Amino acid sequence: MKRLIASTLAGAMVFAGGAAWAQDAVTLQLKWVTQAQFAGYYVAKDKGFYEEENLEVTIKPGGPDIAPEQVIAGGGADVITTWMAAGLAARERGVPLVNIAQPFKTGGLQLTCLKETGVETPEDFAGRTLGVWFFGNEYPFYAWMAKLGLETDGADDNGVTVLKQAFNVDPLLQGQADCISTMTYNEYGQVLDAGYTADDLVNFNYLEQGIGMLEDGLYVLEDSLEDPAFADKMVRFVRASMKGWKYAAENPEEAAQIVVDNDTTGAQTLAHQTYMMSEVAKLTAGSNGALDPADYEQTVATLLSAVSEENPAITTEPEGAWTHMISDQALQ
Amino acid sequence: MRTMQSVLIVVGGIMAIWLAAVPFMNIKWEANMASRAGVEVSIPEGGLRRASAVALVFTNPHLIPGTYVQEKPRLPGPQQVVAELWATTAGEAVTSNRSLVYHAGVTLTGTVAGFLFGTALGVLLAVAIVHVRVIDASIMPWVIASQTIPILALAPMIIVVMNSVGITGLVPKAIISAYLSFFPVVVGMVKGLRSPDAMQMDLLKTYNASAAQTFWKLRLPAAAPFLFPSLKIGIAASLVGAIVGELPTGAVAGLGARLLAGSYYGQTVQIWSALFGAAILAAILVGAVGLIQAFALKRMGFAR
Amino acid sequence: MMALVVSLVSSGRRAGVLPPLVLGAAILLLWEVGTRGFGVPSVILPPVSAIAVRMVASHATLWEDFSQTFLKGALSGYIIGCGAGFLLALFSDRVPFLQRGLLQVGNFLAAMPIIGIAPILVMWFGFDWQSKAAVVAVMCFFPMLVNTVQGLAAAGAMQRDLMRTYAASYGQSMTKLRLPAAAPFIFNGLKICTTLALIGAIVAEFFGSPIRGMGFRISTEVGRLNLDMVWAEIVVAALAGSAFYGVITLLERAATFWHPSQRRG
Repeated sequence: MKRLIASTLAGAMVFAGGAAWAQDAVTLQLKWVTQAQFAGYYVAKDKGFYEEENLEVTIKPGGPDIAPEQVIAGGGADVITTWMAAGLAARERGVPLVNIAQPFKTGGLQLTCLKETGVETPEDFAGRTLGVWFFGNEYPFYAWMAKLGLETDGADDNGVTVLKQAFNVDPLLQGQADCISTMTYNEYGQVLDAGYTADDLVNFNYLEQGIGMLEDGLYVLEDSLEDPAFADKMVRFVRASMKGWKYAAENPEEAAQIVVDNDTTGAQTLAHQTYMMSEVAKLTAGSNGALDPADYEQTVATLLSAVSEENPAITTEPEGAWTHMISDQALQ
Repeated sequence: MRTMQSVLIVVGGIMAIWLAAVPFMNIKWEANMASRAGVEVSIPEGGLRRASAVALVFTNPHLIPGTYVQEKPRLPGPQQVVAELWATTAGEAVTSNRSLVYHAGVTLTGTVAGFLFGTALGVLLAVAIVHVRVIDASIMPWVIASQTIPILALAPMIIVVMNSVGITGLVPKAIISAYLSFFPVVVGMVKGLRSPDAMQMDLLKTYNASAAQTFWKLRLPAAAPFLFPSLKIGIAASLVGAIVGELPTGAVAGLGARLLAGSYYGQTVQIWSALFGAAILAAILVGAVGLIQAFALKRMGFAR
Repeated sequence: MMALVVSLVSSGRRAGVLPPLVLGAAILLLWEVGTRGFGVPSVILPPVSAIAVRMVASHATLWEDFSQTFLKGALSGYIIGCGAGFLLALFSDRVPFLQRGLLQVGNFLAAMPIIGIAPILVMWFGFDWQSKAAVVAVMCFFPMLVNTVQGLAAAGAMQRDLMRTYAASYGQSMTKLRLPAAAPFIFNGLKICTTLALIGAIVAEFFGSPIRGMGFRISTEVGRLNLDMVWAEIVVAALAGSAFYGVITLLERAATFWHPSQRRG
């Protein structure tokens, strides 16, 4: 209701300003469900930043079966958020995605282990059971195992057993895995909520292990950028989105509330979203929205260092997978 | 009345088993947390992970009360599920997205649309299969093969493809729902339409009945007892289809979205209450089909 | 192989295997020409030829997935679920007072969508095939129970009275009259369960699995945009499911050859 009033008022104001042309529609497909991981976009929408740029943005939540790369290939979205590894993999499979902005400077992916299982360093992984997320999120893990020289086909002295972990922390709590994948801003908090303390846990952050890969970036189809009108739309979209991210980082409580208001499932709690927002803010802190080519190079090098049967993310050096064209104009 | 008594006895038995199972399912977590909090816990040799739950319960009776009130239990107690159900139905406005009634309503529309569509398709196919030899020969194997395709794997694709032609919302969900529900209807209906025996068919031949008359006066009435059990399975399948259809649509609303969100955050009580919500909805739907069945069969003289 | 499966499931009315194959071939041709002609991105729908190539190239993986999901998960769950449903129906027939209650409660519990049970059962029974078998067992239980109860009521009062005049015991009346009369219903339940079993096992793998299995492969390869592999798995699932259904149909024919619905042409 509040939103309705706000948008009506905003609409009335635009009208009063005599600028009543139709707004440009943009559809954004998220990588995952509505949560503070995407706070910047929800804030930009709710606070009217998109409207100021004369955009009408539809935000589509993702889910466990939604590959944003597939949605954009099918024409279901104009722009998507995804991890760079998955974006590059899609590019090699004939979906020419291009990174136009990179709100996340650092990544939140880590492997969380229970101390009591005796895992303290990566050397202890051999013979263990590790929970891994798939669906395009497994590339960093396989790159890491390749770097450690561990097989991934079963537990023995030189290998690990991999479990396909659903998107929750049950395997660790139920004792079905020694280590599980967590995001600093989400699942790690759930492990803490469950009653473990930070002292009970060992975290291996992928960035610190030297196999970090860029996470949530904004991607569009290459050929769509040739249309000046679309490119201009994206410039305005990135500008408003980054404004939303900045606002969210400065007002975490309000941003969390906006996310909860936008969650149509009614399952998100304010407490958890507030925690998530504060953690996500750490990841967006170092970025003004423009992709740092050095980060891109590192992601590509890590992927190429670990090409194998199980991990066919990319096999050749990608070309033209990112552009500063949009972010340069947006961030002037 | 006797049915009520019988139901109560069965439900009572299940409740007793459930209540008794809770400590055994949740004791490990309870013991783990209690020992972290410094409470005296007797843990056998070899540590908690290898300990048997039964032994833990009997050596630590003081932990049993705690197993009924855990926040994220492996097996929630019945009282937790009922409390959650109550809080999310009576405790919230029907229009609120935290209300289970609202989510059930979203799922119901998809279910009913899919069921009607699926049943119509199923009956038409069955009639065609029984009467047209070419269709019987060429389509029936594909009808069966169609059901072995894991629709859940296709659901995201269906939705993506429909998105690209601009169809969203109810229709993709109803299609998945119809896809699951038409099959039991086809199987039951084909069986039923073929159930009249030679003597009955011959009798109609002696009356010089046309194919249409044979269908309306013999085959269709004879199929009714076969059709209704299939419809019951069909409506339950429709519900599953609608729920599955809600998973890949980005968990927007509905019981499926609710289950998924509960599963992400390990909210087991929420999962169970959504499950019971779905089961209650299914019971109502199956019950409605059952009422129609009782009425129709009675009118047709099948009642014994 | 395919021809054999088709001939099994086509209801055998002098049809032969030609018509379904013609229909199938037409659909495949349309698919191939459509995807290539309209330039459909292969991440949305790959052409048939690409799927066929993938099936040949990855046959070892496909076999490993098949044995994990179908032979271990679906089949054991099917036997447990159908067996339990059948036995409970027999049991409730002996205790008529409980029969109504059991049926009502059974209806209620069975209507729980398995999709929601899957994450819970994965939590309880671990990630391997045991949890998949549990999901399948729960799914198959209900259609089997309902169909068997319906079937046991199928023998007419006149026939039952006849058994009584012969002074037949409960057991004799059951084996000589009521179970044979129930057979078409029981097989109806068994058939419906064949398709449920496969879907259940695959769906359950989406909620956590080891790194093999059809459900695992489908969900991860969608994420990797290898849609040709996804479709290869779907083809295997369809073939396996059809063969499974065909076997049950053959058994039914052997067991209920006397039933009018089995009449040829």
